[in-house]
Amino acid sequence: MSVPNHAPMPGRPVPPMFSPGRIWTLAAATFTQLVRMRTFYFLLFFAVLVFGMSNVNLLYTAEQQLSTIRGTSFGAMWLFAWLFAVTATAVVIPRDIEDRTLYTILSKPVPRVEYLLGKFFGVLLVITVALGAMLLLSGLVLEFRKAGLIAETRSYLEQSPDLTPADIQGQLDAISSEGFHPRLFTAAWIILLQAAVMAAATILVSTFASSSLFTIIVGIAFFLIGHGHRIAVDYWSEGGATNNWLAWAAKVVPDFHIFNVHEKIVAGSTASPLVMAEITAYAGVYCVVYLLLGWYMFSDKEF
Amino acid sequence: MSGSSSTPPSSPPAIEARELTKVFPLQWSKGYMVAVDKVSFTVNAGEVYGLIGPNGSGKSTTMKLVLGLMAPSLGTTKVFGLSTSDVRARSEIGFLPENPYFYKHLTGAETLRFYGKLCGLRGRSLQERIGELLELVDLEHARDRRLAGYSKGMLQRIGLAQALVQRPRLVVLDEPTAGVDPIGSREIRDLILRLKQEGISVFLCSHLLEQVQEVCDRVGIIFQGKLRREGPLDELTAIENQTEILLQEASPALISKIQALIQAEGADLLSLGRPRTTLERLFLDEVERGLADARSAGVHSAEPSPPPRP
Repeated sequence: MSVPNHAPMPGRPVPPMFSPGRIWTLAAATFTQLVRMRTFYFLLFFAVLVFGMSNVNLLYTAEQQLSTIRGTSFGAMWLFAWLFAVTATAVVIPRDIEDRTLYTILSKPVPRVEYLLGKFFGVLLVITVALGAMLLLSGLVLEFRKAGLIAETRSYLEQSPDLTPADIQGQLDAISSEGFHPRLFTAAWIILLQAAVMAAATILVSTFASSSLFTIIVGIAFFLIGHGHRIAVDYWSEGGATNNWLAWAAKVVPDFHIFNVHEKIVAGSTASPLVMAEITAYAGVYCVVYLLLGWYMFSDKEF
Repeated sequence: MSGSSSTPPSSPPAIEARELTKVFPLQWSKGYMVAVDKVSFTVNAGEVYGLIGPNGSGKSTTMKLVLGLMAPSLGTTKVFGLSTSDVRARSEIGFLPENPYFYKHLTGAETLRFYGKLCGLRGRSLQERIGELLELVDLEHARDRRLAGYSKGMLQRIGLAQALVQRPRLVVLDEPTAGVDPIGSREIRDLILRLKQEGISVFLCSHLLEQVQEVCDRVGIIFQGKLRREGPLDELTAIENQTEILLQEASPALISKIQALIQAEGADLLSLGRPRTTLERLFLDEVERGLADARSAGVHSAEPSPPPRP
């Protein structure tokens, strides 16, 4: 062994009470952890699904074929995002506790809120990268398939003597409009927002849960309750229930129907900037509230 | 053992625990358990302090209270004058838990980079520090290997390296040689002595009494949550009414004279014989001798060279 100097650093700078750099370090470690757990293997499944759908010709029109590829791709992205947000977040914190890695992290100058934020952003980073990759892949498949369908349709229509060039172009434009469109970025953003809310809620649960399995079950139940939220509120309203307790209970879990706008966007609608801002703020408020509650629970937790 | 501390005398104690008490409520009953009961001790700057006690005596809880991983039910702990509830105090602490587990998906170098960044180290200084520490713990050959492929001893050594990454003024070691072979154990012991020479305070929890005796300046004995004895090791281990004389090259005639004198004075001769070496020393001597023989015979051993003697 050599003998390097380990003497304390003279004039050591006082560590900041809150450091985005430390949060980023924790988020990057979480990202690496999840990536090396081979979570991106899901992308292979996604690629097979999208390429498979692009070669299915059971439907009547070219527009319907492209619409199906789009719908299937975004359905898979939506499923991956929220399910991954729950399962990955439910694993990362309990595993640190069980492995006692948490001891070595918290014995460094790391405030507990930074630890929670690092885990949260690490999971979100994985989801963002995965959604980006899926979006890129579905966009490429859509454009490739669109080009093929346009070529096939053009050669078919040009054989018809009754159609004018304007008619043909109109039909080709209709097919083209079903390809990749920049509005799909907003659909992906909404899927990410919903995943962020799920990740924040799961972080909150994992600060007091006794196991990953319990956290996953509660997380999935939370998701289902969020989707049944509107039905329950409508039922209470019709029954004339004006109970304040019920009104507050309804606010604890977000209404996930709000995020279903992404389905309409994928189907062809466009969300206005105001609607996008509202959805973003809605998700942001829930994320902040859940993370603050998680911090409160975690700050006095003893290991 | 006296410390050759480079820390100025005005420096506040490395650890100052006052009336430290930790009570755990028992589940499914209205009772409670006192894990640590009014424990007070001080670890001076540059000192090696050993907390010893059987399993379940309150060692780990005391250590967690010192690290701020738990809040005391009563009492206070300070590290270099800062309350352990203050996150800033932890920039002065390096901690090696018992049987450490780190992120297995990271390599040795990545692990040190991760902990270094948490301590605010960046850039070239961090890179240089990683190289120094890997060299120190003899893991340069495994710097790019994932921790999933490390042996228990290697994990212990990378754990020590991460504890030292930010050059802390206090190092807290929980059973640092658990699962480590005698050579590795010797290296860790030498490292503790080296840290002491550099003025770094060490708080050590162990039930390996021989090891504690070799490296500690002061010792606390904890049992059933209470600190039973505490003080400088030399004072605690001295037997007040006995005197030891160790002779070298003494002739049988001289020994007979001494025995006669003892009898004449009315004192009791409790033992007479040759002092024993320790099993650890015997083992290390044999390994060293074997390596020296191999070297002189021109055979290159694949085994690591033994540690230098202190």
